Amino acid sequence: MTELAVTNTELHDGIPSTLVTRGLLAITPIGLCAGVVLSHLVSSNLLLSLMTQAVIGAILSTGVGVLYRQNGVVSFGHAAFYGSAAYIVGLATRHGVASIEATIILALVLPTLAAFLLGLVIVRVPGTAFAMLTIAIGQALFEFANKARDITGGDEGFRIEFPATIFGTPTSVFQKPGTMFLLCWAVLVLILCALHVFSRSPFGRLTVAIRENQERAQFIGYTTLIPRAMTYALSALIGAVAGVLAMLYNGFVSPDSLHVSVSSDALIMAVIGGLKFVWGPAAGAVVFFFVKEIAGDVTEHWPAILGIIVIVTSLWLRGGLAGALTSAAGFLRHRLSGTEP
Amino acid sequence: MIVHILNGLVYGGLLYIVAVGLVLVFGLRQVPNFAHGSLFMLGAYIGLSTLMVSNFWLGMLVGALVLAFLGGLLDRFVFRPLQDEDHVVTMLVTFGILLVVGDLVQTVWGKDFRSMPTPPILSGTVELFGRMFPTYRLMVILVAAIVALGLTLWLRYSRIGLFVRASSADPQTTAAQGVDTDSVSMIVVAVGTALAGVSGMIAGPLLVLSPSMGSFILMESFIVVVVGGLGSFSGAFVAALLIGQINNFSVVYLPWMSTMIPFLLMVVVLIWRPTGLAGGRA
Repeated sequence: MTELAVTNTELHDGIPSTLVTRGLLAITPIGLCAGVVLSHLVSSNLLLSLMTQAVIGAILSTGVGVLYRQNGVVSFGHAAFYGSAAYIVGLATRHGVASIEATIILALVLPTLAAFLLGLVIVRVPGTAFAMLTIAIGQALFEFANKARDITGGDEGFRIEFPATIFGTPTSVFQKPGTMFLLCWAVLVLILCALHVFSRSPFGRLTVAIRENQERAQFIGYTTLIPRAMTYALSALIGAVAGVLAMLYNGFVSPDSLHVSVSSDALIMAVIGGLKFVWGPAAGAVVFFFVKEIAGDVTEHWPAILGIIVIVTSLWLRGGLAGALTSAAGFLRHRLSGTEP
Repeated sequence: MIVHILNGLVYGGLLYIVAVGLVLVFGLRQVPNFAHGSLFMLGAYIGLSTLMVSNFWLGMLVGALVLAFLGGLLDRFVFRPLQDEDHVVTMLVTFGILLVVGDLVQTVWGKDFRSMPTPPILSGTVELFGRMFPTYRLMVILVAAIVALGLTLWLRYSRIGLFVRASSADPQTTAAQGVDTDSVSMIVVAVGTALAGVSGMIAGPLLVLSPSMGSFILMESFIVVVVGGLGSFSGAFVAALLIGQINNFSVVYLPWMSTMIPFLLMVVVLIWRPTGLAGGRA
């Protein structure tokens, strides 16, 4: 834990914050352009579709990651926000309650608000026990969606009939892999940049201080409950964004979107990629989807492979992929400049 | 009515045996053992295979012994080396074990649902308060009561029990007093996982055996552990019985809400008492 605090506070210390912002201003367009290039390089629709799913998964696992980075707790229940966002749009559209634009905004606001209120209750539970609560929340919603057939249509789920345009954009844009990949990619890049700024903001640093030692933060005079609940709400919001994108892309919603495997996959991606880095979970998600695609054809022991990957990463590769890449890059840089690492 | 209460007791008793194993490990190591549900399942399947060649009781014994052995390994190679690390790491490792054991069970015993026969001695019914009630279900209540009594005596009157209770109440002070958790932890974790095995076997004739049976019971027992108060044995007992009753009545009277109710209870208890019913360490 202390190691984490060091990377968080010292990484950019000594560099004026304006430089960090300027660096970010440069990286953001580069990231966005990379998406455009990627989508043009790949012509196979199958591959593009896989990439789109991977990026949506990346957004969800980024939500799980921010919770660990800022609050030091692990969520086993992020499907609750992902799935309920999809259900809110689906159900509102089905019953013609409001315009699709309004329901999408509602689908982002409601889970965030629910997470904040729930957060006020559950963030008080210490450390690892938090994980037990989140898994219970996720499972309760999943079972509800499954059992309450009159409301949710039960385990089969339902198709969502979209109007011709959403936010003035033709609906087909959201459902074609080529264009949807671009949209999801752009959303991911913007979220990552926003989180980068967030983790360096006074509020972001306050949450880290609370994570490291809640009592001390209280002694300095901070209220610790609200910031923790707000971070939980933020991570829920990111999960809901992923849920809305998935729902727009698939045009379909079922209890599977609330299943515990969605939550645990998101967590696994984040662990593989590196929970301590803003971009770690997203990188983990991309690797996860492609390894799953390949391994799925070769073996049916995918869960065991995942389990072993999780154990190995947790034990010997704490920083995950992002950590390994960062230290490799640092090593190379020192080698090239001729200084000792 | 009386039958509903008895059925609630059966489920509550089962939940108690599963959850108390989690509590034992959580109290000592401050880690929710995610593998507990899959160990429960493993106990049921090992029991089933033993039962095929001999009988139910030997199945239970073999399941408990194998699981106790695995618990010892778990302590030696996971909990002990990782005790000074962030507990999240240990938790993630147990989660990885859950995935591996789940896959193992599926590979060895297949994906199909299997049913476990009720032992012939207990397959009848008995008359209770003028109603017929399956003998086997009565036995489940009895076993839960025996486990509760046995654990209470063990924890109250043995030296190990003293250490476990002290450590559950305050791990830091306990360590500062010179109690070496390592020396007792292997036995405690082994007892915890053996209880997972026993509960799996007991649940066998009540539920269907499938590779997903572990995850459901794991989540229910997590709720029991949280509602009862983390690491509290009496709390887990009360919470398990409470959730057993609530669960049973909601299945009968509010079927579509039944799975939400334990969760809602958990939220209400946490608002009222953030540290759970037993209200120990914050």
